[in-house]
This record gives sequence, structure tokens and C-alpha cells, in this order.
Amino acid sequence: MKSIKTLLAGAALSALAGALTVGVSTAPAEAAGKKIAVSWKTFQEERWKTDEKAIKAVVEAAGDTYISADAQGSASKQASDIEGLITQKVDVILVVAYDSDAILPSIKKINDAGLKAIAYDVQFEDPNALYITFDNIGVGRLMAKEIVKAKPAGNYAFIKGDKGDPNATFLFSGITEVLKDGMDSGKIKNVCETFTDGWKPDNAQKEMEQCLTKQKNKVDAVVSENDGMASGVVAALKAQGLAGSVPVSGQDGDLAAINRVALGTQTVSIWKDSRALGKAAAEAAVALADGKAVASIPGVAKFNKGKKGVEMNAILLAPTPITRDTLNLVIDAGWITKDKACAGVKAGSVKSCG
Amino acid sequence: MSAAPEASTAHLVAVESPSKRFFRATEIDTRLLGMVGALILIWVGMDLIGVWKDQGFTLNPLAIWDNHSFLTPRNLWNLLVQTSAIAVMSTGMVLIIVMRHIDLSVGSMLSFIGVITGVAQVYWLSPWLGSESPVIWIVGILVALGAGALLGAFNGFLVAYAGIPSFIVTLGGLIVYSGAAWWVIRGETVAPMDANFELIGGTPSGAWIGGKASWALAAFICLAIVVGIFTNRSARARFKFPQRPIWAEVFLLVVGCAVALGTAWVVNAYPWPAKVAEAYAAEHKIPIPPDGADGLGLAHGFAIPMLIALAVGVIMTFMATRTRFGRYVYAIGGNPEAAELAGVNTRFITLLMFMTMGILTAVSACITSARLDAATNSLGQTNELYVIAATVIGGTSLAGGVGTIYGAMLGALVMQSLQSGMTLLNFDSAVKDVIVGSVLVFAVWVDQIYRRRQA
Amino acid sequence: MDAAKPLPLVEMKDVSIAFGGIKAVDHASIDLYPGEVVGLLGHNGAGKSTLIKVLSGAYKRDGGTILINGEEAHIGNPRDAKRYGIETIYQTLALADNVDAAANLFLGRELRTRWGTLDDVAMEAQARRVMGRLNPNFRRFKDPVKSLSGGQRQSVAIARAIHFNARILIMDEPTAALGPQETKQVGDLIKQLKAEGIGIFLISHDIHDVFDLADRVAVMKNGQVVGSGPVTAMTKDEVLGMIILGKCPPGATPGPGAMAA
Repeated sequence: MKSIKTLLAGAALSALAGALTVGVSTAPAEAAGKKIAVSWKTFQEERWKTDEKAIKAVVEAAGDTYISADAQGSASKQASDIEGLITQKVDVILVVAYDSDAILPSIKKINDAGLKAIAYDVQFEDPNALYITFDNIGVGRLMAKEIVKAKPAGNYAFIKGDKGDPNATFLFSGITEVLKDGMDSGKIKNVCETFTDGWKPDNAQKEMEQCLTKQKNKVDAVVSENDGMASGVVAALKAQGLAGSVPVSGQDGDLAAINRVALGTQTVSIWKDSRALGKAAAEAAVALADGKAVASIPGVAKFNKGKKGVEMNAILLAPTPITRDTLNLVIDAGWITKDKACAGVKAGSVKSCG
Repeated sequence: MSAAPEASTAHLVAVESPSKRFFRATEIDTRLLGMVGALILIWVGMDLIGVWKDQGFTLNPLAIWDNHSFLTPRNLWNLLVQTSAIAVMSTGMVLIIVMRHIDLSVGSMLSFIGVITGVAQVYWLSPWLGSESPVIWIVGILVALGAGALLGAFNGFLVAYAGIPSFIVTLGGLIVYSGAAWWVIRGETVAPMDANFELIGGTPSGAWIGGKASWALAAFICLAIVVGIFTNRSARARFKFPQRPIWAEVFLLVVGCAVALGTAWVVNAYPWPAKVAEAYAAEHKIPIPPDGADGLGLAHGFAIPMLIALAVGVIMTFMATRTRFGRYVYAIGGNPEAAELAGVNTRFITLLMFMTMGILTAVSACITSARLDAATNSLGQTNELYVIAATVIGGTSLAGGVGTIYGAMLGALVMQSLQSGMTLLNFDSAVKDVIVGSVLVFAVWVDQIYRRRQA
Repeated sequence: MDAAKPLPLVEMKDVSIAFGGIKAVDHASIDLYPGEVVGLLGHNGAGKSTLIKVLSGAYKRDGGTILINGEEAHIGNPRDAKRYGIETIYQTLALADNVDAAANLFLGRELRTRWGTLDDVAMEAQARRVMGRLNPNFRRFKDPVKSLSGGQRQSVAIARAIHFNARILIMDEPTAALGPQETKQVGDLIKQLKAEGIGIFLISHDIHDVFDLADRVAVMKNGQVVGSGPVTAMTKDEVLGMIILGKCPPGATPGPGAMAA
């Protein structure tokens, strides 16, 4: 109830603010246009540029204005960025939080100014904000599902990510959720399970070598929590002539991993299309800027699985498993060129490669 | 001539215990012996713990031979391959530390060089020359070595001529090169590497030299030891110097030969993996014998990375002990001022040393990226810690002036034995870190006690 | 002075050097003839070690000229100095503690085989020869010099200086770490080298040592030369007066540092 009230008040305020700006501004009129801003935690990483392109496209197509601020990897810079955006009287701020706790006072300021905040990819727990991300538990589930499809029973090895990264454990809970029945019935046996320092491929390679030595090569499937480590796993399998016959999972849609999928040495790479994420977030932002209620945005559901268990509205996008059969998805999306994806693949062996 | 040995020991106390006389005559470093002892202890310990865990926490002496996994040719072979990259870098780190410097940038530099050679092979050379071209791997290696020499020389320049402490220069390098590695490929993985280049890593079947060549190499090493002993004796005879007793020479020869032949035996006892052998048989139209592909009698033998590490060890030992450069490195480490006053160009030697370190890092970058068949910006990061740890475990004093190449390489083997042993035994990775760190500190402590007792 | 006198081996003229604005050596001039021992005296910090380090190439002078055999010498580093036949035994001995006697002896001038590698056996042979001359009891050729006694280390340092046919020898407190027996050995050695026509600068603050061994003394104070003259023309008390007060006695030629009379 309360949240709807603030929402309405916010909408009214922002409409008023918009009118005022137009009245005072000497700039060319953009009366219908709303302002949608993104506060990035850092622009040093390539992926955010992909997100930005998608967001910008949607925002501009709707006739709104896109504004961006780069916190350059500093929580305090991000706080002042947001203050600046509030003074610029934007309508919606998408925040990629550098620090999900330190950001909360800034989010409160956004709420107090009657603007709307969207937690983009990184969660911060504020009940008024909308959280848009990929379903991370789902990634683990998808990996396990694809591996089970390829090898329903046998000795499984688990190459987990860095022990200091909660995501590694998070993924693993999704994986075990799917494998639970098989493990309980004894069909699936956990023969090796290890964390990998720094998610490093060379560490994963050593771990896999040790696992194969220990099991005298009797390993039937490997669940690796990302593509980088999968490259190490595949190298270790290759040394034993097992690459291609033992299913291996991964995630991230690494270009090299997609090529491995095409070659058959890796079974699946779970792909989180950041353009889809950007598009969904931008559409939500445009809708919110136009004064639509959060609940009316498609895909919104309640989410309370954060650190503090705060209930908030969230859009959880389903990631896409890329297998030999779905290779065309990444190629068609322009994520990877067909040449790169299909390098070294025998003609006619994979449908998407021709 | 027979009176000569007495002359060399004449100045010593008249009564000398047999063990002391043994070590003096053979000139064996007792610390080396301690390290070999520690290594054997770790190997046997790991093996027994493995058996004990597998047998449900009991030790049935009759079943030990059926269950062990650490002391198997396969695991020892893996261990040697896994050690090679760190061992190569540790040979340079010894001399850097001997000179009272440090190089913290080797891990990041490895990533950066790995990424550069990866990009060169996959994105430039392969499209330009065609992926089958036989020159790709050569150019790939040259690019890596060139980059290593350049980056190392730059580090060295800043240390020697700009006078910035090496700790700071290479700490900066650690951050810069890891950023640079990221910047080149934007976090992507570059793969696959050139097929010939991949052999450097020891993964595909072409990267093992096989049984016969391995025995031949071991025999050659035996021969080299014999030749070495004779040249040394004849040189000393020329100047009428006291000679080592014959029994000591024979002992060293026997031990050296036993190590070479024993290693060859171990690597040859690891047959080709069944699947690889089957594929080989199919390709060469060899019928597979009834007892499976093992019956083809194909042995791994030494892998290329092991040979690279061996060659680097020999070359670096030669450099350290038989050339002016090595002599100056040690003299600078012992007393930089004295070396300068004696007319040694200490700055240039420092520059050269860092450049050598860069080249060795490039060699390791080739081994690591070839082994993974991919280059990523995370490759090799934090390796500097393992390299420095291996060097220190190998008896190099951080105060400078003291350290040996073979010690550092053995130190690398000790570190890797602990790590891969614990992975093999499915130790929790947090426990692994605790143990590896403790062993490092413990090893240095024991070393200090030993030195104090010797002084 | 006299036209009949031979050319000086070394002539340092108006040499100055400053560290951070403090003049460690201030327009000092000093000379040395073949077969002569010149004692250089002064307090700690009087500038004698600094002046001599300019000659041995360890420091670069700010001003002044150095003539070797009457010709201007360009000494920018220790290697240059060695080319002019200038060898130095430093107070600190300047040995690399972690390597053996032969390695120290040949440091910077290693003998090499025809393949360019170190010829350790040849170096050891020569080291045995030269050490046999200086210290016949010395046998620890394989041990790092760190484990040697003070006298043994000293003999390594001296051996290094004389082995390469030095014409000019600089000895900075050569007997500071030695017992009476070894001090006497060093004294005998100096006489022997002198007889061979080598010029020696002997730096010491032990005035008795200097009177026993030197032909001439030069005294420095606050970076300046107080005066110099033959030992026969001065008493020990007069020399002490030069060191402490800067008072130049009649037997000596006054320098810029002499107290105005």
C-alpha cells in the first residue's frame, strides 16, 4: 500500500519537475521525452558497453533521453554521481551498484526525490527498487540439466569456482538441486568435488588431472561452473583421449567455449545475453518513466533471496543454454561470428555450422 | 697423486667423523639432502594417507599396493609436468633474490605474454598464414620470448638505472601487466592455440618422447656425468690440485645415474591412455592386442615441458656457475659495493638479470598456455607467490648472496607435490592453503636453524 | 720542485667534491712519486678517504684534475682507475663475502677459457700462487671469505690489489682489523712493494704506523690539505698539531687548509 502511495507521489512530482524544467530550460523542447539514467559501477569492463548499447537503443526508440555516469570503480564516486543525476531531474535511474550496501543511502535519496531506482544486474536490497538480473540459481540448474541429459548416470566430477565467491556456492546449490534424485538413488556418484582458486583455468586443469588419476579415468561427466575452468577440464580430458566423450558444462558464452561446443568437447555453455538484460531493463525503465505501475510490467515477481531477505520486485531473466543444437542462437544474435564459432568443425557435423 | 687428498684435509681438525668426511669429500650440500628427505616424506606420506582414506581409514598392509594413487608413474608424471612452469621461473627468481632484489610481476607478466602469443597465433598468424602453417608456433614462441625480454629489461632498467626499488617496480608491474592482459583480450579466452605450439605443454600424444628416447636421454645424462668428472679431474691434475677421492667420484656417478635412470623408468612406466592408444592404433592400422590398448606397449616417456625445465635448469646452472655474468650476480648479492668497486658494471648486470627473468617467464607462459591450449588473462596470476615460495623453500636467502638453481627447482617440486597431493586426496581447498602456507614458513625456519648451527 | 726529480706518478690538483652542499674535499692537491709511500693523515671525516675514493674511481669529482705520469687521466668509475694501474684496498676490504678467495681475487677480471667460460681452475692456481707469497698458511680456497679470519680476509684484499701489476696502490687503514703479527706482515709487504717501484698512498689515523712506513705525510682537515712534507723534517708532535689544530710546521709545505700564522 505504502509503496504505491510513494510511487504515485513520485510520479506526480516527476511530472511536475519535468514541466518545471521545460519551463525554465532554454534548450530545444523535448516535452514528451523522459530522462533515463544509468549509474555504472565501472566502464572498464567490455561487457557493460554491450549492455549500454541495448539500453540506449530502447530508450531512444521510445523518444526518451539516455544519460550515463561512470563511477570508475569507486563507491563514493557513485554516490556523488547519483546526487548529480537527481539534480538533473532524471525520471528513472538504473544502478549497477559497486557496493550493494554502501549504495543504500543513495537509493534512499532517489526514493526521497520521488524518482525510481532499478537495481541492474547487481542487487541492492531496497523494497522500493526493481531488481533486474539473470536467474543465477537457474544457471546451476540448467548446467546440471544439460549434463544429466547427456549422461544420466555415472561418476560425476564437480569443478567449483573460487571458495571466496558466494556465486560458486550459489551455483552449486542449483546443480545439486537437479542432481539430488540421481545422487540419492546412487545413479550419480560424486567422485571429485573441489573449489578452484580464482576460477583459474590452469588450476581447474590440475584438479581435473588429479581427479582422473585418482579415478583411473573412470569419470563420466564433469560439471564445471564456468567456461574458463571448462577449458582446463577439456585440456585434461584431451590428454587422456577423453575429450568429446565426457560431457562438460560451463557458463558465460565464452567465444572459445562456444567453439568447443561446436567441436563437441564441451556439452553446454550457459549464456547470459547481456543485450536481453539491457533490453528488459530499459523497457521497464521506460514504462516506469511513463508512470506505469511496477506490477504491470511483464515478468515482475516478488524476490526475497538476497543477503538480508528484503522482499522486492524483480525480473529474473532465464539464461540460455547453448548446446550443439542451439548454436544458432548465439550466431544469430551476433554474439559470435559463424567463422569463430565453427572454426575447425567438420563440414556437415553440426547443423548451425553447415 | 695419492698423497693429494691428505693435503686438502690437512688443515682440518685431525679427528673428523665419517659422515662429515663423506660430505666434505663428495661436496654434497647437506641442505639438498634435507630437501630430498622432505620430498620423499611428502610423497610417501601422501601415498599412505591416500590408501588410508580409500580403505575407510584403516591401513591394511597387504592391500597397500592395490590402492595407492600418489606413488604411481601416472601421478609422478603429472607432477613433473605440473611443476615445470613454476620450476622454470624459479631458476631466474633465485638469481634475482641472490642479487637482493625481488620480482613480484612474474605472474601477471606470464598472463600478459600468454595472451600476446595467443592473440598472435589465433588472430594474426592463423588467418594470415592459414591455421596449418608450420611457422606459427615458431613465430608464437619468438613473440613470447621477445615480449618477455622487453618487459624484463624494462623492469630491470627501472630498478638499475632509475634507482626505483625492485619491490616497487615489480609491484607496479604486477598491477600493470594484469591490466594489460585484460586490456588485450577484454577478458575473453583465446583458443585454440596452434597444434604444434600445443606440444610445448605436454598434453597431446606428440608431446611425449616415448620409451626409447627417454632411456637414451637418461643414458646420455650418465655419460655426461662421467665426462664431467673426467674433465674436472684432468683440469685439476694439470695444476696439481688435490683431487676428490675416487670412491667419492664413484658415489656421485652412481647417485646421478640412478636418479636419471630411475626418472626414465618412472616416466616410461606410464603407458599411453587407453583411448589415445586406441586412436593411434586405428590411425596406423595396428591391430589392438586382446589385452587392450595397454598391450601396445606405448610408454609416455619424458614430456616436452619436463625437457624444457631440465634444459633451462642446466643452462641457468651453467650461467650461474660458469660465466662471468653468474659470478657477478653472486658477488653483487654478497656485497654490492664491493662488486661496484671491483669494477663490475652492477647496473647492467641488474638489467640483464631482470631481462633473463622476463625471458624465463615467457618460457613458462608458453608452457602454461600450450598446456591449457588457451590463453586467458587469469592464466598464471598469483604465480609469483608460488615461484618465490619455491625459491625460498629451495634454500635461497632473502638477505641475498645465497641460493642455488637446483635447490629452487626442487623447492618447486616440493610445493607442487603438496598441492597436487592434497587435490588428489580431495582435501578441502581451505585446508590446502593453510598447509601450503605453513610448510613455507616451517621450511624457512628449519633452514634458519640449520644455518645458525653451521655458522 | 726540482727539475731533476722524476715525473710524479700521480698528481691531483685542486680536487673538490661536495655532498649535498657540504664540501667533503675542498681544492685539495696531492702528489705521489714512484717507490714512495705517502701517508695521508687526518681525523675521521677530514676528507682523506673521500679524496682517495676520487682517485680510485668510486666518487666522481666536481672539479680539479688528475695527472697520471704527467698526462691528464679520465677516471669516472673503478674500471677506469684500474686501467691506469690504480688499485685500492678499502677499509671495509670490499670483499663479496659469499664467494671464495679466488673469485674475489679476480672479481671484475676473471680468467676465462677459450670458450668464454670461467676458468676456475686457472684462477685457483694463480690465487694459490699469490696467496702463497702473502700468507703461506692459507689453504681455505673453497670456502666463502665470510668464514675467514680478519687477517686472512685482509690478505685476500691485498692479494687482489697487487696481483694485477698495480703501479699505484691505495691502502685505506690496511691494518685496522689486524693483530700485531699480521700488522708486521703488512708492513713488510709495503716495503717490498715500495722496492718494486710502486707508489703507495697509506691512509691511517695511527700516526706511529705512518712514521714507520711513509716517506712523506700529507695532513687533511675539514676537507682541505693542511700541509705536506717528508717525515724526516717533522716530529710526531708537529704532525699531531697539523691534524688537531691545522698548524703547519716549518718542515712542511703549507696547503690551503693551514691555519693563518
